[in-house]
Amino acid sequence: MSYYDIDSILTDAEKIPCTFQVGIPDLGYLDNTPSQPLKAGTKVSLPLWLAEMLAIANTGDIEGKSFVAFDLPPALGNDVIQALKADPRAVPLRDQSAHFYGLATHMMELSEEQELGAVLRKTFVTRASEIALHARKVGGVGHKKEDASNLGIGGAGEEFLRGLDEWERRLFRQAHEGAKAGKQWMENIKRS
Amino acid sequence: MALPLPPGVTQNEVAFLAEMELVTVVPRQRLESIDLLGGRTPTLRPPHRADLPLWLALLLKKQRRANILPPPWLHPSSLAEIILRETKERPAEFSDPPPPAARASLARPGEAAAAHHHHDAHEVLLSPPFRPSSCTADAPAGYLPFHWLEVAEALLAHAGDDVAGVGASAGEVRGLLRDLVEVRAAKMRSSTSQLEGFGGGLMSLRGVGAMELAESRGFVLAVVDGVRKIGASVEAARREEEEDGGGEGAESDEEMGI
Repeated sequence: MSYYDIDSILTDAEKIPCTFQVGIPDLGYLDNTPSQPLKAGTKVSLPLWLAEMLAIANTGDIEGKSFVAFDLPPALGNDVIQALKADPRAVPLRDQSAHFYGLATHMMELSEEQELGAVLRKTFVTRASEIALHARKVGGVGHKKEDASNLGIGGAGEEFLRGLDEWERRLFRQAHEGAKAGKQWMENIKRS
Repeated sequence: MALPLPPGVTQNEVAFLAEMELVTVVPRQRLESIDLLGGRTPTLRPPHRADLPLWLALLLKKQRRANILPPPWLHPSSLAEIILRETKERPAEFSDPPPPAARASLARPGEAAAAHHHHDAHEVLLSPPFRPSSCTADAPAGYLPFHWLEVAEALLAHAGDDVAGVGASAGEVRGLLRDLVEVRAAKMRSSTSQLEGFGGGLMSLRGVGAMELAESRGFVLAVVDGVRKIGASVEAARREEEEDGGGEGAESDEEMGI
């Protein structure tokens, strides 16, 4: 992943819920109480890059606790995971987070969630084949109306495509480019 | 970044490469042997069949100086058989590439008559993309060669009447080809589910044609890459566990302290 990868930067900006383990003076404004110290046990949403540093950093002298403890963000909450287990296709991932998979893989690096990995993997491959289907059908070159609608991809398809996160959008673009170039070639061969 | 082209060969390049495939023609006029980069073409004498590269065959066809014999696998009955195999008999996998020929075709340009008798001694078994005569009249029916879609489309577009010659209309062949393309595209999509389980991260693409590969390359690579990234942390954790049986944990934590 490149240093300038915009998706990676945006993923790092995702908020995750954190609980401060130690009181910190002069940070009260994070909890809307300026001029007071931030008390231990306060819940604050921090961007991923900050939470990661604070969680990993060892405070050393203060009872061996790290500054914050973090939970899984709501996008990876239990209800979302259960819904994905039931039917990966039915969950609009983009509503959870535009960088769902990026966030999820990052969280998996921080907290060892074995189950999350398996669910994500299943979700990704199941949705991938669905994405490829849409990519093949959605308005290609010289596509006729009746071709486009013969698989019932109208409103439902659009809704599914709106629910794709960034990884899946890239997947869609790749699959679509391939199908488009294939169609173009097939049209050209008749003319040449 | 520097190279705007996607990795791998594009469809147009694949179609260009496919023009090197040999097809069988029945010439209508005499034509002396031509010295090409790829070797000499056989001399064309009207009633005798000869194998020519596809591009030359199409050129002669356009000039009405030859007729092209469609390869046996392009026959409607062969296509129907392949579709049946792909849909009913073995719906989970692509049908096999053609079996290795017993003997390489002798009518290959570049194989002069003098050269071929000692050619037999060190004959190399070639895998699909490099197999000669997979699109000639000697090719086995019921197997799709590597360049099946490109050759079939080119023949249908430019030599439709020859394809239609054997008791079937070009429309029928075209329809069967469409079906086959759709069946195999669907298979390509669903083959991603083979990546689902941990450990079994393999997709078998045996028997997939060049054009299909060019079409799905971006998608398949993106899927595999995604699965790799999702599995990366689990994989790293597993490897760490394997390498150190614990004990080192405390030490590395201290190093990270600020």
